[in-house]
Amino acid sequence: MQGGSTGIGYGLKYQARCISDVKADTDHTSFLTGTLSLKEENEVHLLRLSSGGTELICEGLFSHPNEIWDLASCPFDQRIFSTVFSSGETYGAAVWQIPELYGQLSSPQLESVASLDGHTCKIRCVLWWPTGRHDKLVSVDEQNLFLWSLDTSKKTAQVQSQESAGMLHYLTGGAWDPHDSNSISLTCDSSVQLWDLRTMKKTNSIEHAHVRNVDYDMKKRYTLVTAEDESGIHIWDLRKLKFPVADLPGHPHWTWTVKCNPVYEGLILSAGTDSAVNLWLASSLGRNDSASDSLAAPPTRRIEPLLNSYNDYEDSVYGLAWSSREPWIFASLSYDGRVVVESIKPHLPRK
Amino acid sequence: MEVEGGATLDDKAKRMRDLLSSFYSPDPSSASSQQPNTSSRFATLDTINTASFDADQYMNLLVQKSNMEGLLQKHVEMAAEIKNLDTDLQMLVYENYNKFISATDTIKRMKSNIVGMETNMERLLEKIMSVQSRSDGVNTSLFKKREHIEKLHRTRNLLRKVQFIYDLPARLEKCIKSEAYADAVRYYTGAMPIFKAYGDSSFQDCMRQSEEAVAIIINNLEGKVFSDAESIQARAEAVMLLKQLDFPVESVKVKLFEKLEQFLVDLNLDSKELTNSSVDVNGSPDTGRVPDAAPATAHEASVREFAEAVRAYKVIFLDSEPQLSKLAQDFVRKHFEATHQQIEKQHSADLTTILRVIWSDVLLLDEVLPEASLPDFALQSARVAVKDYISSAFSHFLLHISDAVMKVQGRQKEGIEEEYPLQAALEASQKAVLHGSMNIFLEFRRLLDENSELLLKLRDLTIDWVQEGFQDFFRKLDDYFCLLSGKSTVASQEVNLLERMPGDKIAAGLVLVLAQLSLFIEQSAIPRITEEIASSFSGGGVRGSEYGPAFVPAEICRIFRSAGEMFLHLYINMRTQKISVLLKKRFAAPNWIKHKEPREVHMFVDLLLQEFEEIRTEVKQILPQGILRKHRRTDSNGSTASSRSNPLRDDRLNRSNTQKARSQLLETHLAKLFKQKMEIFTKVEQTQESVVTTIVKLSLKSLQEFVRLQTFNRSGFQQIQLDIYFLKSTLKRIAEDEAAVDFLLDEVIVSTAERCLDPVPLEPPILDRLVQTKLAKTSEQSMPS
Repeated sequence: MQGGSTGIGYGLKYQARCISDVKADTDHTSFLTGTLSLKEENEVHLLRLSSGGTELICEGLFSHPNEIWDLASCPFDQRIFSTVFSSGETYGAAVWQIPELYGQLSSPQLESVASLDGHTCKIRCVLWWPTGRHDKLVSVDEQNLFLWSLDTSKKTAQVQSQESAGMLHYLTGGAWDPHDSNSISLTCDSSVQLWDLRTMKKTNSIEHAHVRNVDYDMKKRYTLVTAEDESGIHIWDLRKLKFPVADLPGHPHWTWTVKCNPVYEGLILSAGTDSAVNLWLASSLGRNDSASDSLAAPPTRRIEPLLNSYNDYEDSVYGLAWSSREPWIFASLSYDGRVVVESIKPHLPRK
Repeated sequence: MEVEGGATLDDKAKRMRDLLSSFYSPDPSSASSQQPNTSSRFATLDTINTASFDADQYMNLLVQKSNMEGLLQKHVEMAAEIKNLDTDLQMLVYENYNKFISATDTIKRMKSNIVGMETNMERLLEKIMSVQSRSDGVNTSLFKKREHIEKLHRTRNLLRKVQFIYDLPARLEKCIKSEAYADAVRYYTGAMPIFKAYGDSSFQDCMRQSEEAVAIIINNLEGKVFSDAESIQARAEAVMLLKQLDFPVESVKVKLFEKLEQFLVDLNLDSKELTNSSVDVNGSPDTGRVPDAAPATAHEASVREFAEAVRAYKVIFLDSEPQLSKLAQDFVRKHFEATHQQIEKQHSADLTTILRVIWSDVLLLDEVLPEASLPDFALQSARVAVKDYISSAFSHFLLHISDAVMKVQGRQKEGIEEEYPLQAALEASQKAVLHGSMNIFLEFRRLLDENSELLLKLRDLTIDWVQEGFQDFFRKLDDYFCLLSGKSTVASQEVNLLERMPGDKIAAGLVLVLAQLSLFIEQSAIPRITEEIASSFSGGGVRGSEYGPAFVPAEICRIFRSAGEMFLHLYINMRTQKISVLLKKRFAAPNWIKHKEPREVHMFVDLLLQEFEEIRTEVKQILPQGILRKHRRTDSNGSTASSRSNPLRDDRLNRSNTQKARSQLLETHLAKLFKQKMEIFTKVEQTQESVVTTIVKLSLKSLQEFVRLQTFNRSGFQQIQLDIYFLKSTLKRIAEDEAAVDFLLDEVIVSTAERCLDPVPLEPPILDRLVQTKLAKTSEQSMPS
């Protein structure tokens, strides 16, 4: 849309918050994004990076009945994705299937696979197990955690179990451990809660306030990255929850979301309300996770963790997604509806 | 004719020559055998005298070479030569013959002389035999008498010994009387073997008596050893004699040593008294120099005495040095133990006096006992003492500062109301830092100015320690600050786990004080300290040049600069976090979709303003006022940008219909394109305005973000509009960057409108009226209070 940026831009018509990598699409680097408009008809865009990597092509444009607050692509079927939507006082979550496209770009209707009904408060997010085929789906609302058993072929979704996190904990989001399909972490007002899906019980928690977003490291087990409103980014070892392993400064205003790179260990992207996306390298801090190492090295020699800051946004950046097919590419979405795909190749650590 | 004559002559000559050569030459055969070979070839006239002379050849040669005259001449020459040779030969033969004749004569004479010799020899043998027999006779006759004489002599010796032994007691008595103990001991030890052999039988009385005498002697000697009045030599002799008498000297030695130890204990008591008295005196160090002298001299006298005793002991008992060294080192060690107690009290003057006393003691002892290498020992101990002193000084300093800083926390807990608690704390802690460091310098300089040898030797080390101490101190201070602020690093967390304060209990004001204090340390304290170090603590350099000086002001400055920034950010974070919580509550509580019509400005605005006001008072106490920048007026970019959407928005909001919303969004985007990007997140400076403005901006941005997460109905939108409108008029007083604040406030309204189902704004008159009533209300409230 605008020049001056190194990334490839694409403009949505309306404001938007969420973007997701289409993981199951192994042939192309694709992203799904949905708009957030109160008054207009909302859309889901399927974007594909052209083979040369120079252009973002809209592969499909589908109308969506309500404004989309969360969107997640199914990791094993590229045509399936989930959305969380609301409109005024109504809210809902659903799993959709992209209809077969026969070359036409006109907005065909999305085929609904399943509607995740049963929530009694505002739904926060729908989680897929990120690693592979799994017949379970998790949805989180302000107070409850639902575990769904999903059958995409029969187009059914059954509530398998449901548990309340307690009246006083306002859940805000969560992430599913890619290394363990039974553990999940949920963010709430005052802490990050770790849940076991088999027992549907809270197993542990990190008492750390104002966590806004959380992501598991795909490469390194037991590593969790959290983003906080005011106090930046923290990296945790799930076996030692008292203190973070490392912390990064984050953004001047809120750090809205963090995403760990699926391939390169320690590469972390964060997006903030200061209209910027920061690329961090935490491996030097996180990998040696021993305090003695940081003691031995004088503070002057500590490597600057910030690799690059992408500032060319007009509004707060809420959506962020790494491409799992080409892990040096990420897509970011600012509130004004602008998708920017950037390559971090110049900043990749020398191996 | 001539040839024949030559041949005969030749034959004769050859025979003669052969004869002669067989007589004189060592190897005639070789000469003759060579002859035929050489004759033919080496034919020169010079060969005439050689063994290989060939006459014919010579002749031929001669004939060939020389003319007639030459030949004739040669002939004459040769004839003369031959004649000469003949006479020589004759002379030789004659002389030989003569010699032979004289030899024969001599042999004849010898024969005649030998004939009478044998008879003479026989006569001599006879005479010798007779002499021998005579001497044998004499020997036998004298033998008996000699044996007798020898016997008599032995008896006499024995008798003399017996006499000596009988006389021994008396003699010993005499010796005791005359105090000639050495003689007595010699006599007694001389008699000892006899007593041992016959003491039980013949000389019983005698032995008893002499033993009694010896016992007296031993007693006397012992007394002598123990008496200090005796000269050292006399005592040493006495010990020697005792040793000769087989007296157990060791026990004496032990006793004496015990005496020395006892002496030392007494002395140490003295020294403690001394330090105590000096402390009492030095309670007022300016006046107390003179009275200090009296106990010092007393102490010196007693040490001198001790040194004398040690000297005596050393002379008396040889090989006692190790023991004495140990004793002396013990003495020094005890001294330093007493010193350590003094170190706790933090008076460099005391330390120097004590060290001076110790050093004089050590010098005294060293004279007496060089083997103990007391100076080295004392030096080492002094090193430890000085080092301890320095480190304890620094830890006191740290404690002092932490006290000053912690007052903020304490006061807030106690709830004592003061007008400017933070300012007071900041000033107190700044004063603590400056005065503390100056005091430390004062104390340390006293250490350096002290001329005593001990400290002079330690001078370089002391300088290094002081520098290192400062370096270390500031690092620790930084760590401590971090700990206080709850932002300690991962590493120190492990250590200070227990001390770590829970994050929410830390007063934000404290963090602000820390921020400013760090800045103060970086900008004023460090330069002053560097100056001080340069003026009086330069040098050192024992550490080796590769490490550079121990105190690196640049590094400390860097640490504190970054710490200052960090604390400032932390303060801002803490404050904005608090405001965020406030806002969160505001937006979580009501159902915005079913919001009722706004009647007045919501009270959260009051809370917000109250919060800002609190920050402002805190900041005003601590931070300096920034240079008033009027850029908001001159550089009007921002304000135009912020007002850019006003007509647009009003226009847009008036369209109650949503049909043109898409174009509206486009308009917003276009407007954004053309306006300058508003720099909301600028670098924070350590000034009042900068900090307050930053916090306000961050809070407003948070407000916008909260708004974006909600969906509003018309009334909800109007409520926000009213609140923001009110804020707009009030925030101007607080924040400096009016343009940015205006812009952010507008953004909030725009965001609300975007999230509103039916964005119809309040009419401006109504807005004004509500705001005026609110303003009136607040001024009413503030008036009575």
